[in-house]
Amino acid sequence: MSDSQYSVQMRNITKTFPGVRALDDVSFTLRPGEVMALLGENGAGKSTLMKILSGVYTRDSGEILLFGTSIEGDLNPRKAQALGVSMIHQELNMCSHLTVAQNIFLGKELTRGSLLSEREMNQQAKDVLDSLQIDIDPTMVLGSLAVSKQQMVEIAKALQSKAKILIMDEPTSALTSVEITQLFTLIRKLRSTGCSIVYISHRLEELQHIVDRVTIMRDGKFITEQPFSSLTMNQIISYMVGREIKEKFPRIPANRGKLTLSIRNLNAGRMVRDISLDLYQGEILGIAGLMGAGRTETTRALFGVDPKESGDIVLEGKAVTITCPEDAIEAGLVLVPEDRKRDGLCIKLSVRENIGLPNLDILCNKAGIINRKRERTMVKKAVQDLGVKLPTSEVDASSLSGGNQQKVVVGKWLARDSKVVIFDEPTRGIDVAAKVEIYHLMNELKQNGIAVMFVSSEMPEILGVSDRILVMCDGRITGELDRSEATQEKIMEYATRFEHKLENQN
Amino acid sequence: MSREQGNPIKRILAVRGIGQVLTVTVGLIVLYVVFGIMNPVFFSSRNISNLLRQIAPIILIGIGQSYVLITGNIDLSIGSVVGMSCMISATMMTKGANPWVAVIVTLICCLAVGLANGLLVSFAKLPPFIATLGTMTIARGIAQIANNNYNTDSIGEAAQGFRDFFYYGKTFGLFNTIWIAAVLWFIFNFILTRTRSGRHIYAIGSNVEAARLSGVNVISATNKAYMVSAFVSGVVGLITSATSGMGTMDAGNSYELYAVAASVIGGISTLGGQGLLFGTVIGASIWGVLQNGLQFAGAPVAIRNIVIGVIVVVSVLLDVIVRSGKGLRRKRGASAV
Repeated sequence: MSDSQYSVQMRNITKTFPGVRALDDVSFTLRPGEVMALLGENGAGKSTLMKILSGVYTRDSGEILLFGTSIEGDLNPRKAQALGVSMIHQELNMCSHLTVAQNIFLGKELTRGSLLSEREMNQQAKDVLDSLQIDIDPTMVLGSLAVSKQQMVEIAKALQSKAKILIMDEPTSALTSVEITQLFTLIRKLRSTGCSIVYISHRLEELQHIVDRVTIMRDGKFITEQPFSSLTMNQIISYMVGREIKEKFPRIPANRGKLTLSIRNLNAGRMVRDISLDLYQGEILGIAGLMGAGRTETTRALFGVDPKESGDIVLEGKAVTITCPEDAIEAGLVLVPEDRKRDGLCIKLSVRENIGLPNLDILCNKAGIINRKRERTMVKKAVQDLGVKLPTSEVDASSLSGGNQQKVVVGKWLARDSKVVIFDEPTRGIDVAAKVEIYHLMNELKQNGIAVMFVSSEMPEILGVSDRILVMCDGRITGELDRSEATQEKIMEYATRFEHKLENQN
Repeated sequence: MSREQGNPIKRILAVRGIGQVLTVTVGLIVLYVVFGIMNPVFFSSRNISNLLRQIAPIILIGIGQSYVLITGNIDLSIGSVVGMSCMISATMMTKGANPWVAVIVTLICCLAVGLANGLLVSFAKLPPFIATLGTMTIARGIAQIANNNYNTDSIGEAAQGFRDFFYYGKTFGLFNTIWIAAVLWFIFNFILTRTRSGRHIYAIGSNVEAARLSGVNVISATNKAYMVSAFVSGVVGLITSATSGMGTMDAGNSYELYAVAASVIGGISTLGGQGLLFGTVIGASIWGVLQNGLQFAGAPVAIRNIVIGVIVVVSVLLDVIVRSGKGLRRKRGASAV
């Protein structure tokens, strides 16, 4: 049985949710010791397929073989795990208050009699971590570790339970480039021990480092399965979207207008130090930098989410005081936040209510009563302008796919006239087509004479969309580049200009 | 959407969260009919009138608790504020104060407790359970101190107008208490569904951080919810003192829990962000019909308590089951789209 050529064979899988055919006759194979990239736009059915494999969902029809043995009946998560399938979720599923070892043994604690044998668990946890050359003390509290380390613990946890098939859903979305390299080393090591890995990611640039084969899905259907080396990036994209995306980064020339926003010596904690910048009408100012460079913190301080220590903000020639988001919105400065689930959406409210929320000042009369007709008109326009796909605007925001949720978050801010719009990582975790729509939108704002600030960790899009680029490192602005002179190398150089204080002191 | 506007029934069905409200409405009707068949007096217009008057205070405190639950918090001080309101108003009236002055002073005191609750939770960021546990004890203490640790004497002849206004009088054939509950329900339902403040209350209950980043003043929205809760509790306290004609120190005992029960039976989520005030009316009515019906059926108080407790748990359990089924489906749908 175990000498089968494939570790996973899924044949003719279909799955229907009310109103949606999520998977339509999809087949998928995986060999021992290979990394398979599972690609597709948001909503292509990748996650659904993998959730069926890991037992979270049950299939409507079709056949699943694990190591050559057909699975009778439905899988459930426990059964799937026992058969060696483990999924590393996009949002880490662990108890942050417990220690590393306690997490690794969660649900299968080692006991002596009826007492926990902590020492043994710590030892075995250490063995697993060591075997992966992960340098983490198993007695540390999980929540005190960086996200990347937590992810590695989750992988170790999967391996401790003898996982042979690892499914990773967007594992790199929250990692820095150094951490990504570490993760890839780990993945290669797992591959060499015969583990099969399914790798779901939107970051196509990463694939070349680890991937052996590629399965591409679109609209719930299987499109192709090929060795990675036989495909070009453009081919992959066109398989994913079903059409060639000609302009990945549409750029529109616009005339830089008057000075809109100028910030002088903004300080807010360690991650925002002495930030000064100018922003003009009709330009897109890119803010580049590595993860943890203080870009998000800067936008949050500017928008009044986090308190400022000092600094002057001048908007259209007038000094403004921003102590809370309300002040910023009133002044004409809005922020499309980075983490849409945490900061952007009220997922239990409808799309209409979400879009209306920051604009109630426009939608209400003096007594604070909402003009529902005006609200519907605003929401309808926002939904149309952004091409949000939804049955009606009364559905819960939680029912939308990631890309559509992001459009709602963007839409709620664009429904009002602002002078400055700050986008913090607006394209994270959304598919290629939706990304291009977001770029078009920024361009449209720019053409309408609005000043746009664009924070992104993805170098190609910063280079492709911005008119001018500021680079941050360690809470400071370390460089400014005009679009004509900007290259990835130059940005990297500025982005790694750390202060060497510590080393000097040592 | 335009189609929905054309058809009022479809429009009502399109309201989010209407599902559970309709389910419990059916439950309410069934209960009512069953009790009525067991004892036809239950259907008499006199009993209906009394029943509605019994339910009215539960609806009022239910409104208050629902407001707070929708913000994602809880208000344990409701019962004590009822007691405080009862004692302050009655003490003032026995000491010869004009009843309407007493009403205004009492309500201001209650609003102060609500504001304190709101600030403790939103500004000082105390867990709402603890903050309102504290004010609950304090408000009960104030109720006791109001007349030197004694219940008051009768509030007297001078306060007959007050007693009629809040309890004994009728307008258009219905007891005033019912009118008070109805009018306040309409006002607070309108605020919750149609105004900026109401939207803010839902938003902070759904995702406080997203609401803040959307320019919602979280402190003010939380304060408003707690003040609504304290206000309606104050009104119920006034109804209580009008009913008995005196101040009783332990008036409103465990009302905060009745209010939670009315809210959750009616489909208000204890996790915040979800629920309709109409559901609270139905929840409170189920409560009232059970009390009244079991009484008619001759069940002792102990049995009534047990039955009602079971109903609370079962209704929430049903909701959890329905919601998790739906939530799962929605989640699946989301990953599929």
